[in-house]
Amino acid sequence: MNSIANEVQAQIKERSPLSIWRILKNRWFLHAVSTIAFFIIWEYVARNRFLGSALARPYEVLLQLADMMVNPIAGKGLLGHIWASSQRILIGFAIGAVLATPLGLFMALNRYVNAIVKPVFDLIKPMPPIAWVSIAILWFGIGEPSKIFIIVVGTFVPCLLNAYNGVRLIEPQLYDVVRMLGGNRRDEILHVCFPAAFPAIFAGLQISLSCAWTCVLAAELVSARSGLGFIILLGMTQSKPALIVGGMVVIAMVAWLTTLLVTGLEKVLCPWKREIQTA
Amino acid sequence: MKTETNCKILCTHISKEFIQKSSQRVNVIDDISLDVRSNEFVVILGPGQSGKSTLLRIIAGLETPTSGRVALDGKDVSGPGSDRGLVFQSYMLFPWKTVTGNVELGPKLRGVGKKERREIAQHYIDLVGLNGFEKHYPHQLSGGMKQRVGIARAYANNPTVMLLDEPFGQLDAQTRYFMEKETARIWETDKRTVLFVTNNIDEAIYLGDRIVTLKGKLPGRMHEVYDVKLPRPREHTDMKFLELRQQITDASELVL
Repeated sequence: MNSIANEVQAQIKERSPLSIWRILKNRWFLHAVSTIAFFIIWEYVARNRFLGSALARPYEVLLQLADMMVNPIAGKGLLGHIWASSQRILIGFAIGAVLATPLGLFMALNRYVNAIVKPVFDLIKPMPPIAWVSIAILWFGIGEPSKIFIIVVGTFVPCLLNAYNGVRLIEPQLYDVVRMLGGNRRDEILHVCFPAAFPAIFAGLQISLSCAWTCVLAAELVSARSGLGFIILLGMTQSKPALIVGGMVVIAMVAWLTTLLVTGLEKVLCPWKREIQTA
Repeated sequence: MKTETNCKILCTHISKEFIQKSSQRVNVIDDISLDVRSNEFVVILGPGQSGKSTLLRIIAGLETPTSGRVALDGKDVSGPGSDRGLVFQSYMLFPWKTVTGNVELGPKLRGVGKKERREIAQHYIDLVGLNGFEKHYPHQLSGGMKQRVGIARAYANNPTVMLLDEPFGQLDAQTRYFMEKETARIWETDKRTVLFVTNNIDEAIYLGDRIVTLKGKLPGRMHEVYDVKLPRPREHTDMKFLELRQQITDASELVL
């Protein structure tokens, strides 16, 4: 119908002629400048030994990582150590998310559940998950269960909080819509609560995931024979800066990849979410 | 002349008090009585803070009056129900549902099969002039289009009464004028009993069979009732239109 036409807003992208000024203002150009500058400063600081011999040069780090691909450390190659850490995170993250998300939703939906769980949760909430390392080792020994336990604790809090707040912050009139259309409480939960809380739940998963990396590192630094935390600790005890920095770089890359995965999953599952352009 | 039986909606002596956090009582509506005939288009006209939205929410069943009663087809209203369709000022579309998804929600909740409810949804999407936008999400639509979805969603549930709460309050003047024309067209195509709340006097005269004005400032009280006997489609510049406009302006506290 032509009646719609006057309401559709056309988006016209202006194109200004190519100039040096435009290249200088280009986002990607600026990204490249800052990245290259970072590596130059790193190389400069490392080469001139401003920090003693404690900082490896970028090239040395790359060499070290390549070496680890071929020559295993403590019986595992680089990929083996990455998998060791990732496995702990996956298990801990899965358990934490599966326990915390439904509990957060229940707390938001039912005030009795909320009244029962909230005091205990509020007590645990401000405790840094790393504070659990010692007690976890006492309870579960130095094996895998203690590491997974710490990750579960670390992922639990952000997952629950986000699921809870996701439901609490829903515009109340959306419930009115369902009620006016003849829906009952079940319909309100199904058609309003779950979908509306979905983005918040996903934000919680994102935060949990980065929290899980902190936790696995802490656990591995205390006691482990494998994983990226173990690699970093080994670098320290053997004074191999390249090993430490290499471990850090790999963690950053793996964490970045998993975040990308979750973001991608969210885009598939929440197609209605307006894309927010990150500056 | 009017008996209770030929009234679609009958409100008798409705009052509403809200208790605020400081346990202060705020009287929002004071003794409003109103009757709406079947397939009549009644506009409730009042300035901001005159309790008109609360009155609509009481008739919708989303609020309970402190005293007085609301009857629909002679039966007391005790809660929200699918016999009334509500259109919200701020659209209240589900951002996670497409246009079709939003419009078909009513039939879906009533258990209508997929094929049938798609047909119903398509019918009302066409009626409000949104064909071609079925798969769009609300954030991809302009304000006027969003409210078209809101109207189609209310219509698709096949209510006997349509309640519209300042539906065009958030639109710019031009889109608003255009949507008023569309509302008149839709109503004449598919007649329902309509209760339309607005603070815009032109909108009221353009659309209403009858205009009920409320006094400004809380609590909301009935002021006057005007019968609009102008033929449709109406013209804003028609002499009779302007005379009535003057008459309402003079009589009410609306500043226009």
